[in-house]
Amino acid sequence: MAGKAKLKQGLMMFILIIIGISTVFPIYFLFVNSFKNQQEIVASPINLPRNWDLSYIKNAAAQINLVGSLIQTILITALAVTLIVVISSFTAWAIARRDSKAANIIFLMFTSAMLIPFQSLMYPLVSFMDGLGLKNTFGLILMYGGFGLSMSVLLYRGFIMSIPQSMEEAAMLDGANIFQMYRYILMPLLKPTTVTVIMTNAVWVWNDYLLPFLVVGNNDRKTLTLSLYYAKSLSGQYGNPWELIFPAVLLCVIPIIIIFIFLQKNIIEGIAAGAVKG
Amino acid sequence: MKTFYKKKFWFMVLPSLVLFLMVIIIPFMQGILYSFTEWRGAYFVGGDHWWDALVGMKNYVSIFTSDSFLKALGYTTLYAILAVVVQNVVSLILALMIKKIHTGKGAFRTIYFLPYVLGALAMGYVWKFIFENVFSQILFGTESFFHIELLNNMLQSPWKALLAFAIVSTWQVAGYYLIIYLNGLNNISEDIYEAARIDGASEWYQFWKITIPLLMPSFTIVLFMSLASSFKMMDLNVSLTEGNFGTTMISYLILKTVRESSPPEYGMAQAQAVIFFIIVATISVAQVLATKSKEVEM
Repeated sequence: MAGKAKLKQGLMMFILIIIGISTVFPIYFLFVNSFKNQQEIVASPINLPRNWDLSYIKNAAAQINLVGSLIQTILITALAVTLIVVISSFTAWAIARRDSKAANIIFLMFTSAMLIPFQSLMYPLVSFMDGLGLKNTFGLILMYGGFGLSMSVLLYRGFIMSIPQSMEEAAMLDGANIFQMYRYILMPLLKPTTVTVIMTNAVWVWNDYLLPFLVVGNNDRKTLTLSLYYAKSLSGQYGNPWELIFPAVLLCVIPIIIIFIFLQKNIIEGIAAGAVKG
Repeated sequence: MKTFYKKKFWFMVLPSLVLFLMVIIIPFMQGILYSFTEWRGAYFVGGDHWWDALVGMKNYVSIFTSDSFLKALGYTTLYAILAVVVQNVVSLILALMIKKIHTGKGAFRTIYFLPYVLGALAMGYVWKFIFENVFSQILFGTESFFHIELLNNMLQSPWKALLAFAIVSTWQVAGYYLIIYLNGLNNISEDIYEAARIDGASEWYQFWKITIPLLMPSFTIVLFMSLASSFKMMDLNVSLTEGNFGTTMISYLILKTVRESSPPEYGMAQAQAVIFFIIVATISVAQVLATKSKEVEM
């Protein structure tokens, strides 16, 4: 019996390891091919590069305007995510604590908006924002903010409803105002949800290409993913220039891989915690 | 305390409400109205306002009589069915195995999750190369040792491409969904399995009669996420095939309708967008209602 259990453990381990290797294989693949020329990529895609030539990465960095795009992407992601975290938690707090018709209607409105695919309103959205003079980076941040609200309000509301009001009451008796209560009582309690909200929205905004494509287009304020898209589509008329595409993709995903390595524990626990309430 | 929240309520919800109105409600309403007009994006045909360009049901008639829309709709539906099944089966099996093993749970969760944070457009280019070169020339091509026709030149046939899309999207999301499933599995009390074992229930019986029913809340979440994201899938569609070889899905079609018509048919694209919304919303609501009704209280 013990032998059979051990065999089962070994077998499961084996399968999980094989799948694990296949999971990281594309990333390995991306990495090694970022240092090869076109010929070498096509001839021996799986091998390590014969010499670690950095010129392809340099060329890709120039093509996607790395520094400019990176700053633009970090700026948009950071501001949009901050906007989403602050206003959705604030709103969810009010909705969770107030049991009125208005609160219920507003909550219903936010949740039903999750059913609207972005493609269903992207054209009117961009033309409406253009009319307000917001077809620019600032408008892009607002649009991400508005689109990220629904899911975040839902997650925050669920979590706030599960924590008792007594701490807020005590703080109020001590004379705290609404911002102090929010900053010192509520936000520390909401940390697990905040991690999930930051992570899901940051991943989405960082990697999105459609909204910047519609709002920014092909000018010098492109985000990383959009620059990659243009680098690929403008150079791809004569086959695929892999010696440009691989290093360009690598430059786009490296920042997020680094952040993930540092935060992975918080991220995964945050998702598990958020899922119970969602 | 109650009066405090009553007094502050509107102040607290106002910022979100204004943003929501601006970014979602108004454009959504406009979108419905514009779908009945001859809208060109920058202007309306025949006047300054949308009501000057009203054409009735013309846009809807033309999308349902041209086959590009119906084809994309059918193709997207097939993809969604395949992707939802593959993503759920893979992530559930992985979660069940990770739950059972004694060491390395954390490491596996992290490794499987990693692809989720990488962009679908960016990694789609890498996968394109894997399908075209590694699969078709090294591993499964006509001159390879393991010649498997299904995995050869996957991006050049709409049917094989469906599988390619499903493989890449599963690679991306399985790590996320498995965490939700794993969390659901950890919430099931060991006592129930213990009692079932004493009653002599087989493992298979336990899985169907205990694990699956008690995992329903996780199913509701994962199904909702996978169904909606599969219907809306676009980035992979752009990076893997650019919609060539009959692989255009609805999301990408809405984008292409405007780019490939001159003058740009925004009104028609908007009619496609409205139908797309109705389909996604109906399916999502039906799915949540169906799985919610199967959730059991312990």
